[in-house]
Amino acid sequence: MTVDAQTAYLAIAVMTLVTLGTRLGGAFVMRFVTLSPRVTSFLEAMSASVLAAIVVTFIVNNGTREAIAVGVAILVMLATRSAIWAMFAAMAFAAGFTVFLS
Amino acid sequence: MSDVSPTPGFTPRFTAHGLVRGGQRLLPVSVFVFPFGVAFGAAAIESGLTIDQAMVMSLVVFAGASQFAALDLWQSPLPFLSLALVVLAVNARHFILGAAISPYVNGLPPRHWFGSLMLLSDVNFADSYQAMKEGERDAAHILGGGLVLWCVWAIATAVGVFAGTLLGNLERFGVDVVMAAFFAALAVGMVPNFKAALPVIVACAVAVLALPLLPTGWNIIVAALAGGLVGVVFPSESKATP
Repeated sequence: MTVDAQTAYLAIAVMTLVTLGTRLGGAFVMRFVTLSPRVTSFLEAMSASVLAAIVVTFIVNNGTREAIAVGVAILVMLATRSAIWAMFAAMAFAAGFTVFLS
Repeated sequence: MSDVSPTPGFTPRFTAHGLVRGGQRLLPVSVFVFPFGVAFGAAAIESGLTIDQAMVMSLVVFAGASQFAALDLWQSPLPFLSLALVVLAVNARHFILGAAISPYVNGLPPRHWFGSLMLLSDVNFADSYQAMKEGERDAAHILGGGLVLWCVWAIATAVGVFAGTLLGNLERFGVDVVMAAFFAALAVGMVPNFKAALPVIVACAVAVLALPLLPTGWNIIVAALAGGLVGVVFPSESKATP
């Protein structure tokens, strides 16, 4: 089930090209057109949506421990507005859950 | 974004001085990137990447959220197309950043234009965009900030990779939930009010419903598109800066 080296580096190359495309693409298209408010709305809504979709997929594929950990992260983020504290709080919960409840 | 109309006749520069200014301004901020890099390095080892692969990924991709997302799809056989599309969707916000900063880079010769944008990320965008509004005219400012972030990201990944290798099973430290927690926090940060949350809620529902129906990763792509469309139909008030 492990990914062989050739496939891994090919995947990293694909990721690099796609990411570079997103870095250059915005300024490039602005040479010819302006981003309409609709396109901006689409990209903004999609940016948050894709992250949320990855999170719920992760929760469905895993379980209670992971679901509560994500809940902790959301609450800490709402309270502190710091993604770092949210991340640490979720890790601490997940670590505690593993040590004490399983 | 329409407020970035540079004064007529201004030509962007690209100099070593601008590079240093951008780098200096981001030195203190870059400290906050460190924990994410460590978390990525450890999570990468946990997901089965070798030390070399994790390091190369951080050095050449240099986009934390998409690197975490890739770990989620890191399995054999590797789903290349969904990996590419998920990376595209996660990094799509770069389009907005690039479009916003374009008036300050588009007059440059191709080599400098590429240099200004090749390490564009949320953090150096935010800093350089602010500097440009305050009169900075050197596009190397963006690259300078990017280089500082890039160094910190690489060092932090190395620390995480070695911690992951030495400590073995990282689940007992909660490393396996880092990606989900980080993404949940980022998504919350992107949602200023209920109207902005609507696309996210729809995307979550679509992702769950489509999960058993589609090949690996495709439920995320369909959910991202659905969220984007909801954002077009019910746009929330755009923030002052992207």
